[in-house]
Amino acid sequence: MELHLSSEQTLLREAAAKFAAAAGPKVARGFRRRDISFAPEKLRQAGDLGWLGILVPSSAGGLSLGLTELALVLEQAGRGLVCEPIGLAAISAAALAQGHTPHPMLERTMNGAALVVPALQEDAHCNDLAEPRMRAADADGSIRLTGTKSFVCADGADGFLISAYGRDGPALFYVDRHAQGCELSATQTVDGRKLSTLRLKDAPADVVPSRQSSRNAVEALTDLALIALSAELLGVMEKAQEITLDYLRIRKQFGKPIGSFQALQHKAVDIYIRTQTTRSLLYQVAANNDPYRIDPALAVAVKAKASEDALFVTEACIQLHGAIGFTDEHDIGLYLKRAMLLSSLFGNAAAQRRRYVNLADLTV
Amino acid sequence: MFRHDSPDEAAFRAEVRTWLAANLPAALRGRTNRPPPAELMPWYRMLSRKGWIAPHWPKQHGGMGATLNQQIVMTEELAQVGAPQLPAQGLNHIGPILIEFGTAAQKARHLPPIIEGSVIWAQGYSEPGAGSDLASLATRATLEGDHFIVHGQKIWTTWGHHSDWMFALVRTAPQAQPRQAGISFLLLDLHSPGITIRPIKTIAGDDEFSEVFFDNVMVPAENLVGKLNDGWRIANALLGHERLGTSNPQFALMALERIKTMARASGVMADPTFQDRLAAASINVIALAALFSHAVELTNRQHGLGPDSSIIKIFGSELLQALDELLIEAAGSHAAAEQPIATDFGVVDVSTPFLQVRRATIYGGSSEIQRNIVARRVLNLPN
Ligand SMILES: Cc1cc2nc3c(=O)[nH]c(=O)nc-3n(C[C@H](O)[C@H](O)[C@H](O)COP(=O)(O)OP(=O)(O)OC[C@H]3O[C@@H](n4cnc5c(N)ncnc54)[C@H](O)[C@@H]3O)c2cc1C
Repeated sequence: MELHLSSEQTLLREAAAKFAAAAGPKVARGFRRRDISFAPEKLRQAGDLGWLGILVPSSAGGLSLGLTELALVLEQAGRGLVCEPIGLAAISAAALAQGHTPHPMLERTMNGAALVVPALQEDAHCNDLAEPRMRAADADGSIRLTGTKSFVCADGADGFLISAYGRDGPALFYVDRHAQGCELSATQTVDGRKLSTLRLKDAPADVVPSRQSSRNAVEALTDLALIALSAELLGVMEKAQEITLDYLRIRKQFGKPIGSFQALQHKAVDIYIRTQTTRSLLYQVAANNDPYRIDPALAVAVKAKASEDALFVTEACIQLHGAIGFTDEHDIGLYLKRAMLLSSLFGNAAAQRRRYVNLADLTV
Repeated sequence: MFRHDSPDEAAFRAEVRTWLAANLPAALRGRTNRPPPAELMPWYRMLSRKGWIAPHWPKQHGGMGATLNQQIVMTEELAQVGAPQLPAQGLNHIGPILIEFGTAAQKARHLPPIIEGSVIWAQGYSEPGAGSDLASLATRATLEGDHFIVHGQKIWTTWGHHSDWMFALVRTAPQAQPRQAGISFLLLDLHSPGITIRPIKTIAGDDEFSEVFFDNVMVPAENLVGKLNDGWRIANALLGHERLGTSNPQFALMALERIKTMARASGVMADPTFQDRLAAASINVIALAALFSHAVELTNRQHGLGPDSSIIKIFGSELLQALDELLIEAAGSHAAAEQPIATDFGVVDVSTPFLQVRRATIYGGSSEIQRNIVARRVLNLPN
């Protein structure tokens, strides 16, 4: 089902589609196992287009747009298997712009000259995003962080937005990549990109102020991350669906296109229902929530659904391709792998459901 | 959740809510089976006198001429107080069809009694040999002079044994190809000689539908709607129209509340496995609300949704079934009890809604048929 968009939103989507078309599977393959698995000049290009400051208030030099616009851009990025971390950069910029005086890193983050990414996760299931074990200590006027963050998209990053427990409870801090006591170790993902463990030992940090409580800065960034990842997941599953529907029309067996077999038609419709329901859910939540005050139960619901559906869809797409879908050479596998990566970050579907149980009070 | 009332809609909602609270008889609230006509029709006529029986009909025919949003408000408020489902064949099917395709005489004769609730209509499409493959229907109507002679059988006719009139698809050109081109749309007085009606009991224990036999029944030729052999188009013209009504997320939200009550009462709410499944179902209810709201936005801006309305029916009906599966799971050994279960948290009807909702994926085009439609008409997959 089509979205109802303003002409500005349509133009934005077209620009993002063009950007994504210049990426695509071939480019994504080229970045696999590279030292930095994206093109920094492309990130700057996204900055020039305004996308990295898409949520940033115009008073701070951003586009002052909403979640719908963020989602429109990231959906296209997902479709094109874009490797530049546009979503993470854009939500980090939004976080850096929250205070009365913008953070010194904001401008360079917005124009893509520097990359700042969130580092919120500490365990594989995101059990305690709001209660980090990372400690922030005040030592003669300066703040120092100690602890470990995991599953950080640290490729090419210049700095991190880190949740830590300080004097007033959880708050958000900025730590420079080259700060003293900051150590990264990377592991390779199936997607060809890396996830890192970030170990901090008395690393100098500064507080990223929030609009409301300090806890709010962490929660707001978490909720933004869930929406951003879900938008990319939507694009991934839509493109996989498109490739698969084409294949169903051309591949012949038993003298007919396999898309004429009812079992496969019904599977294709199940795929379509997943992409459409995720799409409606994402964009309805986007249209009804302020980027800095997202209803957390809705953010969690979106990420749960997008994560589950993206895996359902991309797995089904492999099945509908037969053996060719199992090869590295065919592109369809790239979408499954991207779905594996994005659905696992900031809590997979099951982790989101656990959070939903508490947020919606599904308890005794 | 995603839709917000305009000030006018909010005022209308408040008015409807207050009126329903004061006027809907207690005995009719929260029933999971449809009450029989003797109980239900007085309520129908109360709504009619209030002017609210046909929100979607134009004012000139006795409706409210309501906007889509007002219609949705009405559906939601009726669901919210647990109002029983009204007989819909007149209001939602033949009424709108006659308004679109009927002659002036047909409108004048048949529309007012539907609004007043003095006549009950039945839909005569399905036959023993023609279900999903409706175009294979065999009930014959042969024109002889100024009458059709109708011979054959209809089945699964909702409220057939309570109805006064039937709108039916009948075969008027047996040799026509394609078969759809030999079908006409006819109005039949069910009190005519030669008609036998037998109620059929459903798995939920009620007499919801029936079978109707026609033994050379005489039907005046003026009861033909539209042109001869143009019945298929007429029957299909307004399909999809009502899908937005039946997939209102309000029904799923209420099913969710029933599950929570039952799960708290039975203690299973403390079980993490159950919590996980309930969370998954709740998230799908939010998704249905989003899909619905998206569809309403599109319908308000353009005309209809086209074949995409099928995915709302598939997703909504399968979700309702999944919810009632959770309900019987929450009820544990109470699940098989025929009567509602009294708990510390209130009375919960378990087996009846679970059984009733089986129908949702069968009638109005089964889930399989809907998938066939989406595959061909939305996804353009080959035949
Ligand atoms: C509660 C209720 C009320 C009803 N009220 C009315 C009414 O008032 N008037 C009326 O005319 N009818 C009514 N019906 C009938 C309804 O329209 C039919 O049940 C429906 O069209 C399916 O036909 P069938 O029951 O003959 O099933 P069949 O068509 O025999 O289907 C049996 C099974 O096969 C599947 N199937 C059939 N064809 C295909 C295919 N091509 N591909 C894949 N799967 C297929 C179906 O999905 C189903 O699962 C009612 C039904 C119910 C349950």
